[in-house]
Amino acid sequence: MDKLQRMIKGKIPGEATGIEVRKSVCTICDPSGICGLDCYVKDGRVVKVEGTLESPNNAGTLCSKGAAQRQWIYHEDRLRAPLKRIGPRGSGAMVPISWTEALDTVVQNLARLKAESGPESVVFFCGYPKQPRPFLQRLAFEFGSPNYCTESSACFTAMAMSWRLDYGQLAGPDMANTKLVLVWASNPFYANTPNARRMMDARDRGVKFIVVDPRLSPMAGIADLHLRLRPGTDGALALAMANVIISEELYDRQFVAEWTLGFDEFRAYAAEFDLDRVERITGVPAEQIQEAARLYATTKPAALMTSSTPVVHHTNGVQNQRACAALAGLTGNYDVPGGNVPQTFSWLEVSGAGFTTREHEFAMPRPWSDMPPRLGATRFPVWTEMIDQGQAMDLPRQIATGDPYPLRGLMAFGLNHRMWPDSKGFLAVADKLDFVCVTDLFLTDTARHADIVLPACTSVERSELRCYPQKYVILTQPVIEPLGEARSDTDIIIGLVQKLGLRDPLLNPADSVDGPGRGFLKNGAPDMGAVFEDALDWILEPSGMMVSELKKHPAGMPVPNAAPPAFKRYETKGFPTPSGKMEFTSKVLEKHSDVPGHVALPVYAEPKLSGVSTPEVAEKFPLVLNTGSRLPMFIHSRTFRLPWPRSLRRQATADINPATALRLGIDQGNHIELSTPQGSIEVLANLTELAHPETVHMFHDYPEADVNALLAGDYLDPISGFPGYRASLCAVKNVGQSTPAPTTPNAGGGKEAS
Amino acid sequence: MSHAFYLDVDRCTGCSACAVACMDQNDLEIGPEPTAWRQVFGVETGAGSTARIRYVSLACMHCADAPCLIACPAGALRRDSGTGAVVVASELCIGCHSCSMACPFGVPRFGKDGIMQKCDLCSVRLEYGLEPACVRVCPTKALRQGDPNELGLETERKAAERLAAGS
Repeated sequence: MDKLQRMIKGKIPGEATGIEVRKSVCTICDPSGICGLDCYVKDGRVVKVEGTLESPNNAGTLCSKGAAQRQWIYHEDRLRAPLKRIGPRGSGAMVPISWTEALDTVVQNLARLKAESGPESVVFFCGYPKQPRPFLQRLAFEFGSPNYCTESSACFTAMAMSWRLDYGQLAGPDMANTKLVLVWASNPFYANTPNARRMMDARDRGVKFIVVDPRLSPMAGIADLHLRLRPGTDGALALAMANVIISEELYDRQFVAEWTLGFDEFRAYAAEFDLDRVERITGVPAEQIQEAARLYATTKPAALMTSSTPVVHHTNGVQNQRACAALAGLTGNYDVPGGNVPQTFSWLEVSGAGFTTREHEFAMPRPWSDMPPRLGATRFPVWTEMIDQGQAMDLPRQIATGDPYPLRGLMAFGLNHRMWPDSKGFLAVADKLDFVCVTDLFLTDTARHADIVLPACTSVERSELRCYPQKYVILTQPVIEPLGEARSDTDIIIGLVQKLGLRDPLLNPADSVDGPGRGFLKNGAPDMGAVFEDALDWILEPSGMMVSELKKHPAGMPVPNAAPPAFKRYETKGFPTPSGKMEFTSKVLEKHSDVPGHVALPVYAEPKLSGVSTPEVAEKFPLVLNTGSRLPMFIHSRTFRLPWPRSLRRQATADINPATALRLGIDQGNHIELSTPQGSIEVLANLTELAHPETVHMFHDYPEADVNALLAGDYLDPISGFPGYRASLCAVKNVGQSTPAPTTPNAGGGKEAS
Repeated sequence: MSHAFYLDVDRCTGCSACAVACMDQNDLEIGPEPTAWRQVFGVETGAGSTARIRYVSLACMHCADAPCLIACPAGALRRDSGTGAVVVASELCIGCHSCSMACPFGVPRFGKDGIMQKCDLCSVRLEYGLEPACVRVCPTKALRQGDPNELGLETERKAAERLAAGS
C-alpha cells in the first residue's frame, strides 16, 4: 500500500486525502448538553466521526451510541421520500409520494379537522430531537390548538416540577465547587456521558460521593457510600435522612427559620420515618442511612444531584422527589456555591448558559386562556398550572373517551408509542384517529400507523442552535446534503405554517420574496433555512448574539458577556413560590387537595404495585419490575437497528441478580418468560450483581420484547402523570434454552454465557 | 518513542465507546460473530453487599516480544517501523490461526474471508499526530496511549499523591 492509500484508509484529514473535518452535534440522545461532533467528510460523505475537542461539554469524547453515528446517518432503512399509507394502519404498506402531495394532504386534513371539530382536535407532538420544539409549539398555537405535548411528558419535567413545588425553581448541583455529591439515582456513565468525566475528575479532587441507586451502577461502584434501596422507596429514605438531620440538630436553623414554610409539620411527619422502619421499607441498613444523613449534612458545601427520571418514574414520584429535594434547603445547601444552584433556561431547557432568549415568547404566541383546556388539564391540574405543555400521558384516554372534546388528528415529530405504558393500547386508540402524520428518520413501528410519513434528516444534515452550561453556544451548519428528499424538522414546520396560511410575521412574512431558504424546492420540499435563521435572530435578540456572528464559529464559541453566577438571590427577591419561601408544605398542592395524591407535605406512599401495597398481586408476581434502567449502548428505541451498538448486547435481555436467579433456577443466557398481570414477553437472562436483588431490570422499547406493553395504561403518578416504569411487579420463569446464548460479553456487567 | 495502550481500570466503566469508535475508524462489519478488534468485559467478584464490578477494555497489546509475530509461518505479521505496533499484512495471511494459538490475550479475529484482522494501534493516525480512535473517544479518559515509561510515571505520580494523602 502506498503512502496516500494508507492515509486514505487511516482517514487522515487534509488536502492529500480530500478529507475535511466539519463541525456538527450529535443528537442521538438529547439531554441538556449534547455532544460536539467532528465529521470527517470525503466527497460529500461522512467517513468517520469523533467528538469535538473544542466543545467544553464532551471535550473530544463520545459514547457508544454517538460513535455509531455513521450507521445512524446512512442506515439502509432511512426514509428518503415522503410516504402515503395504502394498507391498513400498522401494516407498513406505504408508497412514496411527492413532497407536494404529502404537504397538500397534511394541510387539507388539518384544515378539514379544524373546520369540522375545532383546532383543538389536532394534537401536536414532539419526541426527539428537542431542536424543533419551540417551532412546533408556535405552529400548534397559531393553528389554534392547545394540544402541544412532548416526550417530556415522561422525562425531566416531573423532576423539575418537584423542585419547583419546593423552591419555585429547579436547582442543579454546582459540581465545580462542591466537597460532596449526594447522587440520587443518576448514572452519567450510561446516559449524559459528558458528565462521567466530571465525576471521575471530582473523585480525583477528593470529592466524596454518596450514591442512592437500586443498581450497582458504575456510579454506585465509585461511591464512598452506596445506599441500595428497593425501587420506589426514595421518599421514605429521604424522610429518614431528614429525620436524622433534624433530630441531631444538623440542619441550617437560620435558613429554616427565615426562609421556609411548614417546617414544623415536616419535622413531625419526618419523625414517623425512624431508621428501623425505613430499613424495613427500603432495605438499606439503618446505620448506612444515618451515616449518609450525617455526612451530607455536615460536609459543606454539599450538592444534590437528581436525575431526569429515576425518582419520578414512580406512582409517588413527585412526592418522593420533593422529599429528596427538600434535603438541600434543610442543610443550607440551596443557592450557595458548591451546593444546588437555581437554574434559568437559556434555550431548549439548557440552564446556566449565561444568556437569555425570547424562546418562551416565540413558542407561545398566544396565552393558554385563549384556547380550550389542553391534554390532561382536569386529570393533572398541577402539571397544567406549572408546565407550558399538555400532558401526553392523557392522550389515549381522551382519544378513547372524547372527554372533554374529541381528538381527531395527530401531527407528530419523532413519536414512539412505547413511551406510553400499555404501549399496544396506545396504538389501538391512536388507530381510531382520523388523520395521523409522523415525521421521522425511519418507518418505525409507530410510523407504520400514520397516514402520511415525512422524512426527517439527522443533525449532521441540518442547522441547529444549541448551548451549554459552560457558557458556550453553537449554531451548526449541515456537513452533508440531506439524504434523498429528507428535510430538517424545522423546514417542515415552517413549510406547514406557510402552506396553512397562518398569520406569522416571522415564519410566514407577508412581504417575503421567494429565494434560497425561503420557500419550496422544485419537488415541493420545504427549504426554509433563511426563514429559520431570521427566526433565530429574533429569538436571540436579548442575548446580543446574531446568526451572522455564530456562523463564523463552526465549532461554537464562548457566550459573549455571559452573566456571572450569583448566589442567595432569594435574600432580595424571595423564592418564586406562592409564599415567597421554600415550601416544605406546598401551597400549590394544597390548592388542589381535592385531587387524590395531592398533599402539601412530601408524603411517602408505596408504589401502587408492590409486595407491601398489593400482597395479593405480589403472590403471583413477587419481583419488582424496572423498565427504565439504562444501558450504555441504547437510548430508548433509537439505536437498536444500528449493528455496532447492537453487537454489544445482541438480544433482548433482562438483568437479574445471580442470587435471585439461582433461587428461581435460572442460569446465564436462559430463555425466561417475564410476566405481569397484563401479559408476558420472552427474553434472555443476564445474571449480574448490577441488578438489585428483588428487581428485574428490563430495558424498554425492544420491538421484539416490548416490556412497557406489560404495564397498565393508568399506572401513573397522580401529580405529574409520569408512568411508574421503575417499580411495578413481575414474575420470571425459566422456559429453557431454545436458541444459543449470547456469545459476547455484556458491557454494563454480566458474566460470560455458560 | 514506543507506543502502548494504557487502561486505568479505576476509570473504565464498561461503556464500550472505545469498541464502537474502533469499528467506525476501521469500517468493521460486525455480524453475528464477535469480530470487534476491541472488546470490553465486565468482571464481577463477590456477591450481595461485597459485590464488585470492574470493567476492562482490551485490544492488541502490541507486545515487544510478540508471540504472534514469531508464530506466523507466512510472515504476515510485522512490526511497524514508525510506531512499533504489531501489524498484519492481510495479503500475506494464510488464515492458519497460528497467531491465535500463540497470543496470550486472544486478540486475533477472523472475518468472513478467514483472514486475520486486529488492532494496528491506529498507526497511521499516530504518524499524523492523532490519537488512536479508541483513546480519543473514551468518555472517562480511562484509555490512554503513549510511551509506556511516560504512562508509568504518570501512574506513579498518582500513587505518590495517594501515599502522601494517607500519611
